[in-house]
Formats: sequence, structure tokens, C-alpha cells
Amino acid sequence: MTLAPEQPVHDLAPDTAAELIDLVGAVREHATRLIVDLSTAPSAVRVRAGDVLVELEWQSAAPVAPDHPAPTAHSSTPATANAPAGPVPPDTRAAGPPGERTIAAPSVGTFYRSPEPGAPPFVAEGDLVAPGRQVGIVEVMKLMIPVHADRAGRIARFLVDDNEPVEYGQPLVALDAAAE
Amino acid sequence: MFSTVLIANRGEIALRVARTCKELDLRVVAVHSTEDRDSAVVRFADEAVQIGPAAARHSYLSVPAIVEAALRTGADAVHPGYGFLSEDPVLAEECAANGIVFIGPPPGVIERLGDKTAARALMHEAGLPLLPGSLHALGTADEALAVADSIGYPVIIKAAAGGGGRGLRVVPEPGAFARAYQETRAQAQTLFGDGRVYVERYLGSARHVEIQILCDAYGNGVHLGERDCSVQRRHQKLVEEAPAPALPDGLAERMGESAVRGALAAGYVGAGTFEFLVAPDGSFSFMEVNCRIQVEHPVTEMVTGIDLVREQIRVAARARLAFTQDDVAVRGVAIECRLNAEDPRRDFAPAPGVLTRFEPPGGPFVRVDTHGYPGYRVPAVYDSLLAKLIVWAPDRPAAIARMQRALDEFHITGPGVHTTAAFLREVIDHPLFRHAKHDTAFVAQFLAADPHDPGGSV
Repeated sequence: MTLAPEQPVHDLAPDTAAELIDLVGAVREHATRLIVDLSTAPSAVRVRAGDVLVELEWQSAAPVAPDHPAPTAHSSTPATANAPAGPVPPDTRAAGPPGERTIAAPSVGTFYRSPEPGAPPFVAEGDLVAPGRQVGIVEVMKLMIPVHADRAGRIARFLVDDNEPVEYGQPLVALDAAAE
Repeated sequence: MFSTVLIANRGEIALRVARTCKELDLRVVAVHSTEDRDSAVVRFADEAVQIGPAAARHSYLSVPAIVEAALRTGADAVHPGYGFLSEDPVLAEECAANGIVFIGPPPGVIERLGDKTAARALMHEAGLPLLPGSLHALGTADEALAVADSIGYPVIIKAAAGGGGRGLRVVPEPGAFARAYQETRAQAQTLFGDGRVYVERYLGSARHVEIQILCDAYGNGVHLGERDCSVQRRHQKLVEEAPAPALPDGLAERMGESAVRGALAAGYVGAGTFEFLVAPDGSFSFMEVNCRIQVEHPVTEMVTGIDLVREQIRVAARARLAFTQDDVAVRGVAIECRLNAEDPRRDFAPAPGVLTRFEPPGGPFVRVDTHGYPGYRVPAVYDSLLAKLIVWAPDRPAAIARMQRALDEFHITGPGVHTTAAFLREVIDHPLFRHAKHDTAFVAQFLAADPHDPGGSV
């Protein structure tokens, strides 16, 4: 893979150039991390943005690691270069029963179950939620960051009490995704 | 004194700061990204808070996340380390607004000195010598070209908000100026969110010599001698030493006095560094002030016996400097090598991965500042500095011999992992370095002479 970190961008307007540098940087970063996680370095990496395709290629002579049986991996979820925009990968520290997924804190801060003190909570245990439904708020330095369900399911239980401090990525809500 | 210090950084510097905090009997709070969950400082700290994802801009560069973590853990002070938010006046201001002490200069001082053009103007007023150049940020390309023409080539274009060797371009002749000007502005905008640049004369052959200063909140300032950081590759320092070898008599003393005068004129509080260029004729010129603890601070600690982080913390807690200029004595020679997880054979491309073997050297007068350990996975998303190897000896030849011995003793291996150790060993073995005849162009010349096998890997 050859993505030069300092490709000349002189033909572009400064803003476009800045965006491009940012974007290339993000792609590079993700690709590098992907390669680091592989036991055998691939001979080629292809990344496409439209409909997201990540393709890895190994030389046929090179042994393919047994834990990577498919030389081509297709990803169906969009890459999330700017993390807060996308779903946060939850920690594994509160693993629940199979079929249960957790919704993770998008920031370090304080978790609230209701829009304001005294108001009814966004959702209650047992509620069915659609993807994108707000289930809480994490407040960081007076900034209110909404917490959304990233899939459909039934609220199994809250893993964090109202008004409790949380860390980034901490599981907040257990979602029974089997109800999909 | 404080009770709890939050360290808003990662890697070796976070651990190094944490160690001094422990010696001062302070509680240590580490903050970390998801990527650094198993880092050395997280293990060392009394408490750790996961503040964000791997991407630094949402973790180590997030002022709200850091201040939130400080408030929640009852930290009464924040140490920013170097890089990241160490010279961000916004973090300093937010800390102050929330009753937390920022261990660094006041926000107004950071802001003024962080603007390299404002810093140049201020130091010019304080009587420090500057390289010919613009005293304010430049406007149109034509205006800038006119300034460059009046200075004479080669010139260097630098970002006003720059630092750390980023956001600059050397222009050898007028024909290359327009394009370089546009590129540097675009890069400055991307890197620092500020596209302003300025121009000064570029010295092709010069030494990078910097002065460590320390000021308290009562107008007392001292300097702790100089460091030579001329061994650089693409404006990134690789080897540093104290004192600077073979300087003309009295020069270091004059630079030290200038730095203290400049620091007091700026209202500086805390530890800081004044960077100078020393020309072959022995004249020196002010370049910039770094408002932070620096990567290479250990060489100063080794020759002065002063723990700079400890002094930073003390003066941030409004203590007076415990010593005067007369109390500062430089003894012997210290050299630092930066071991980066990079492959010299692949143009120093980052070479991160899991460290299956990690055995730092030991023995007399050897110090290793690192966050590495066997089994540690060097992340690909942060800078490649893996370890700083520092040695002390009574004289320079003995320090070089000790550094070579210690480099040979340092074993770092892992799948895909390479380091600059063997390359650095060749650098310090080179006659130009041994005889202190090297300047900032040394590494580029060294690599050009032997491009095929510049040291290899460890």
C-alpha cells in the first residue's frame, strides 16, 4: 500500500486541500491499524468509499493465516473516521447473554435518562426501540450529547444509573436485539 | 501543594510525569483513549479515566473530556506533557475557569508566544537577536515574495501557529517561492487551524541550540544551561545533548542570559525552552519559545541534577524557585537518543506492532524513559516515539561510548516492528558527531551518502 503522508496538494484551494489531507489521514490510519491486526501482512489493500469496500490481497505464495480464511473481506458498515458521529464500540466489561447488545457512552461525562430533571425518561425497560431512538444523554462540560439506539430491539435494562459518571465507551443500556 | 494531578497525555511522558508525582506524594489520574487502555501509565496511576476513542482529536485533544475527567476525579492540577494540548491556551483557560491549576504558563503567555510572529516581535523588543525576516504574518503571495526577496535566499516559510518542526518549508530560490508559500499556508491551516505564515532567512549550516528556563510566579527566573539538538531529520530531533559541545567561549552564557531576559519580559511562569540557531560565525538568533516540558528535557536533568517536572509542579503551586542562577551547576555530559518505532530502510515509515521482546539497557548512568514493555502493542495511530535512552558521563567521549554500549544492549523485536536504534548508533559513531563538527544538515548528508542501508533494523 502506498499512501504518501505528505502528498502535494498545491493544485487545490486551501480548504479543499485541508479536507483531503484529513480524509487521506483518516483512511491511512484505519488501513494501518487493520494491517497491524493481521498476522500476515497483505500485498495489497484497496479501500473504496462509495458503498464501502475494503479488499485485502495476499500473494498466492504467501501463507494465509488460518484465522483469515477469506482473502477478500467485504464490510457493509460505513467506516467511521470521526468517531462521535458513528456508533461507539462498547467495552466488553459488561457482557450479557447472547443476542444482547449494549449502547455505549459517546463521551466521558454524566449519564441522564431524561431530557431534564423530573421529566419522564426517554425510554423505560421493556420498551421497543427503533434504530436512532434517543435513549439518554451524556453531559460533558455542559455539552449535551444524545445517546441513540444503533439498532432495533427491546430495552433489557439500564447498566448505569441516572446522573452517574461514565467513561467513553462504557455500556449504558442493554438492548435485546433478538427482538429485531 | 496539590493533592491530585491529572496527566493529560500518553506514552513515555505521561509515565515520566506520573513518577515525579508519586515522589511528591501526589495522587495520579491517567486519562486514556480506547487504544491506550493497557498502557504503562494506566497501570501506574491511582485512577484512570477512558476519555475517548483512538483518534486523538476526540480524546487527548478534547478539552471538555479532559476537564470533565479532572473534575470527576477531584484533580486540582492538570499536567499536559508535551504535544497534544500542552500549548493550547484553551485548556489552560478552561482549567482556570473550573478551579483547576494548569501546570504551565498562564494562558495569555501561551497565546502570545504560541504565535511565532508575536513572539518574534516581543523578543525583538526585549533585545534578543533575530534572523532577518518578517515581524508579522504575511498577506498575499506577492507581498510575501517581496519580503523573501529583500531577505535573500534561501528562506524558510513557517506557520505562525506552528512548532515541533511541522508546518515549514525551505525555499532555495525565488522561482520556488509562490508554490511553497501556498503549500505551507494550506498545511498550516490543516495542522493548526491557522493559515498565517511568516518568512525568515534559512541557515543551511547552523546548529540548533536551546536554553532551558524556569520561572516562578514572583518574577524570578533562571536558566539551566543549553542543549544541542542539531541531529535532526526533516526538522525532527533524533539526538540531543547537554551541554552543547564546542561552542565559542561565553556564548552559552550569553544565550542563557538572553533567554531569561526574554522569559521575564513575556511574564513567563514555569519551565520553558528558548530555541536559537547558532551560525558558523558564532552569532546566535532567537527562533521560538516552547511553552512546555520538552521531549529532550532529561539531558538537562542529568547534568544539573534538577527534576524539571518537579520544579514545574512546584512553581505551578505558587512556590518560589528554591535556587538562584548561582546554584545551578552543569556537570559532565548527557546524551539522549530517541528510539522511534520506524524503519530507517523504508524512509523511516512507522513500524508499529506487538513487542515480543523488550529489554531496555541498564548499568551505570543509564536512564530509559519509555512506556514500552514486553507484550505491549505499539499503536499505529500516535507518534512513533517508543523510548528515550539517556546516558551521563564525565566527558563527551565517555558519554558516546556509554551510549553505544547502551544502544547495543537495547533489544526490541516484534512482528513488523523496527526501531531507529541501529541507525542512531551509526549517527553517533560518525566522525562529524564525534568531533562535534555536525550541524542541522548532518543527518540528511549522512543519509545521502549511504542511502541503501542507513542502519537497518533491530
